[in-house]
Amino acid sequence: MAQALSLLLDRELLALNRAVGELRRRNLPIESLAVGPGDAPGQARLTVIVNTDDATAEMTMRKLHKLSGVQSATRFPVRDGVARELALVKVRVPPERHAELLDVCDMFKATVVAEPPEQAIVQLAGTGAFVLAFVRALERFGILEMTRSGAVALPCLPAE
Amino acid sequence: MSVAELLSGAQILCRVLVEEGVDTIWGYPGGAIMPFYHALPDVPEIRHVLVRHEQAAAHAADGYARATGRIGVCVATSGPGATNLVTGLATAHMDSSPVLAITGQVPRPMMGRDAFQETDVLGITLPITKHNCLISETRAAIAIATEGRPGPVLIDVPKDVQNQKTEYRPVSGVGRQVSSARFSLTPDTQHLTPPDDRVRQAARLIAAAERPLLMVGHGVILSGAYDEVRRLAEKTGIPVITTLLGISAFPESHPLHLGMPGMHGEVHVNRAIQHADLIVGIGLRFDDRVTGNTKGFAPRAAIVHIDLDASEIGKNVPVAVPIVGDARAATARLVAAVAPRRCEAWIAEVQGWARQREESYCGDLSPENIVAAIHDAAPDRCTIVTDVGQHQMWVAKLYPYRRPNTHITSGGLGTMGFAVPAAMGVKLARPGEAVWAISGDGGFQMNMQEIATMVQERIAVKMAVFNNGYLGMVRQWQQFFHGGRYSATPIWSPDYVKLADAYGIPGWRVERASDLEPVLARASAQPGPALVEFVIEQEANVFPMIPPGATLSEPIEAEPAAAAGD
Repeated sequence: MAQALSLLLDRELLALNRAVGELRRRNLPIESLAVGPGDAPGQARLTVIVNTDDATAEMTMRKLHKLSGVQSATRFPVRDGVARELALVKVRVPPERHAELLDVCDMFKATVVAEPPEQAIVQLAGTGAFVLAFVRALERFGILEMTRSGAVALPCLPAE
Repeated sequence: MSVAELLSGAQILCRVLVEEGVDTIWGYPGGAIMPFYHALPDVPEIRHVLVRHEQAAAHAADGYARATGRIGVCVATSGPGATNLVTGLATAHMDSSPVLAITGQVPRPMMGRDAFQETDVLGITLPITKHNCLISETRAAIAIATEGRPGPVLIDVPKDVQNQKTEYRPVSGVGRQVSSARFSLTPDTQHLTPPDDRVRQAARLIAAAERPLLMVGHGVILSGAYDEVRRLAEKTGIPVITTLLGISAFPESHPLHLGMPGMHGEVHVNRAIQHADLIVGIGLRFDDRVTGNTKGFAPRAAIVHIDLDASEIGKNVPVAVPIVGDARAATARLVAAVAPRRCEAWIAEVQGWARQREESYCGDLSPENIVAAIHDAAPDRCTIVTDVGQHQMWVAKLYPYRRPNTHITSGGLGTMGFAVPAAMGVKLARPGEAVWAISGDGGFQMNMQEIATMVQERIAVKMAVFNNGYLGMVRQWQQFFHGGRYSATPIWSPDYVKLADAYGIPGWRVERASDLEPVLARASAQPGPALVEFVIEQEANVFPMIPPGATLSEPIEAEPAAAAGD
């Protein structure tokens, strides 16, 4: 079952290293990692999506929670919340196909965020599956480059 | 009131150690830590012990910490000095011992350029320290190491930081109170009061149980819960099992004391676990050497688990009643909550399973005789530090520990070479008491260079070497589980009497039981370090033994050939 682990860390690489090291040590099947700023200055937020059973996830949480540099750690099944990743895709767009690209973007609620000559960089947020579907839809234009973030997640129910 | 002084980073480090009550440090100088060593002679409050290998510094600091409950400090230079600390830090980490390691580091502008003697010691020690960091407030590092569940902390101090001058104001009184809480370290478990309903639930289980057991571990020693555990046992009549690191937490002579469980636990102890309907575990982590195969561990028992570290609850065995909290406070609450009861029928049943130890010994110099003779020759106040292997199990099972925290060993990591350097730390922590380092011929040869440290620093550790010419425990496994193929386990030893002589200390070789008493009497009477070698049966085994992967119900009780028909 996909679980989201959401950690507030001290904003330093050692704390991140410790947290990720604990996951590596347990050899967990990590689906994605996302690191960004935390809620307050000096904090970082690490979101981990991991596919594992409830007991393993709980044990991992307790281990993570006691690490030096980990300020708080919560978890919830992804199905009880929302998890979204961000994708930036650079495609080849000759002027005559520009309208067609905008149609595809419209369908997926994606935005064109930069337009280098004969190209476009498109931004999309969504679940992993949604992003993949979008990427597939863009393949007809020719994808030059793309990058996807790990998922960030929030619970719909209050986290325990 | 305090006046600011302009001090170097190294001088500040020394000052803070003194202000934190550190009186002894163990170390080895080198390039990147030289400013610290330059400042050290101006600090007479701190005794520095020059070891012969940095591993010994870490073990000695660990021994000192285990004996005092206070921070043990070791110091090394960058690169090889720092990497040599690794085994000692991992040992302290596994056994929850508060050790502070201070390592020199190349100057900051050189870091990451593969400078001479540069190594990423923070990266290396990340998973084996409770906390580590570059530079840092030393006070906070000590607080983190000692608060909550203790553990080692490493601070890496670049040489330019040691040299850099800055204003320093000594802190005293209230201002000195530093809490690791400032550093966001598990704030919730440290001062947790166990919930009343959990304690009441545990008390109800104790009242209803027909075959209850207490299992106590290192947490009882770390929190000093001796009286509380004893009161709990005496009020309820529940027999007490002590894990390897829980030995000496409960007097061996007490009628309720059962013994050590697990891989080399006595048959009646393990059988008690397998028949128990309730296990109250206090400050132990249900390690695999204790439980055997967890699938078959204590199949009839509900488990009440008291531990300071929430991540230990349910880690290895399912727990019916978790009580997260300090062993001493939680046990005291439980004592107040339980109703007095007795367990006579159950104890009689367990005692009925006890059997005479299988004597697989040729000659009269048996482990039983040696351990008894060491005990008889030792003064009342004596701490035994053991290494890892067969002798460790024999001593754990046979030495009649009476006083709390007088058995110190590397349990979790199983570090051969631990005993000799750790005993130095224990000896400086308890200068008025006898300290024996008991090793096998394998482990002794891993750190015997520290005899030189003992001589130079006048550290009067008595060393015992159980010499059977084999890496005995590995050989035993080879005999039992690898078809008797003694691959790489025969081990040659130097002449230990001559070795002792070369270091200028008295040494004896004991080959007959009749020599035990006179030799141990003379060794004990020595004012300085002394070495006694016991030439024991080469292929003696530790019985009983639970094979790896088997349950506690499947002990090997005799030589494999004899046991084959069972």
